[in-house]
Amino acid sequence: MTIHASTWLVRRKWILAAVGLPVLVALWWAFRPEKLWINEKVNEAVPFDTTGGPQPILTGRFEGKSQQTSGRATIYQKSGREEYLRLSDFTTSNGGDVHVLLARSGDQSLAQDASKGDLDSVDLGSLKGIQGDQDYDLPRATDLNKYDAVVVYSEQSHAVFGVAKLEPF
Amino acid sequence: MFRTIQIAGALAMLTCVTGFGQEKAQALETGTFHGKVHNTSGRATIYKEADGRLLLRLTNFKTSNGPDVHVVLIAAKDADDDANFLKSSTEKLELGALKGNEGDQNYDIPAGTDLKKFQTVSIYCERFNANFGAAPLQKF
Repeated sequence: MTIHASTWLVRRKWILAAVGLPVLVALWWAFRPEKLWINEKVNEAVPFDTTGGPQPILTGRFEGKSQQTSGRATIYQKSGREEYLRLSDFTTSNGGDVHVLLARSGDQSLAQDASKGDLDSVDLGSLKGIQGDQDYDLPRATDLNKYDAVVVYSEQSHAVFGVAKLEPF
Repeated sequence: MFRTIQIAGALAMLTCVTGFGQEKAQALETGTFHGKVHNTSGRATIYKEADGRLLLRLTNFKTSNGPDVHVVLIAAKDADDDANFLKSSTEKLELGALKGNEGDQNYDIPAGTDLKKFQTVSIYCERFNANFGAAPLQKF
């Protein structure tokens, strides 16, 4: 009796192993749980020549606020570490004394259509045109970590026409 | 002596002319990844190289590691976390297996790809048909 039971147990172990192992392997293959804590890092270089010429470092799309404003704002760095802002595919509305500013994207004044004139910003100059591509020089040593948004702003009515939040290119 | 100067001059002019004709790679479209479930972030940019080939480059890129993860272009404006493109029958264009879940990487885009149609880059888990992260592309 006991001999019979133990041989059955041995046989059952075999069956368990024969069924269980492939199931375990299949589960591992499907979910690859080890990947939860294994990172695969790569660092491929740019596959084309980028030497010479300005390089984009930050970019963002305009969102219209008090006026319909659209297009892209990109900060380029020249070889001499000088930086400039380029607006492309740009469109906004006409207004009184409209300027291009750099401001903090988290500034509460930008959340409203009009800012009460207390916007913490760097003035890049009067808007050159309400449509089309245009460049603006940045003052030397502008802190782009702090001023991370481009704002089209009417100095006359303190109206925020549009904001482009800059993100690393 | 004069002849060598002549030849050198001609060579210099030739390299100047051919160098001038060579156009640089140009960024056509760009966008940033969003994906909260699988922590996907970074930038996707499509470049047109000087010879006309299209290239996708991921920068500042990060996603969660997973089984059978691929980089695809999808014919949609954007995609939600864990979206199943098989179920939504979203057309996708395979660019290859994800080379790494962190870091800068390049992928060739097949010639003749219609970028007006394929407007979003997706990091897609083929095994479970789940979108890890999507980057809607906009004109650079």
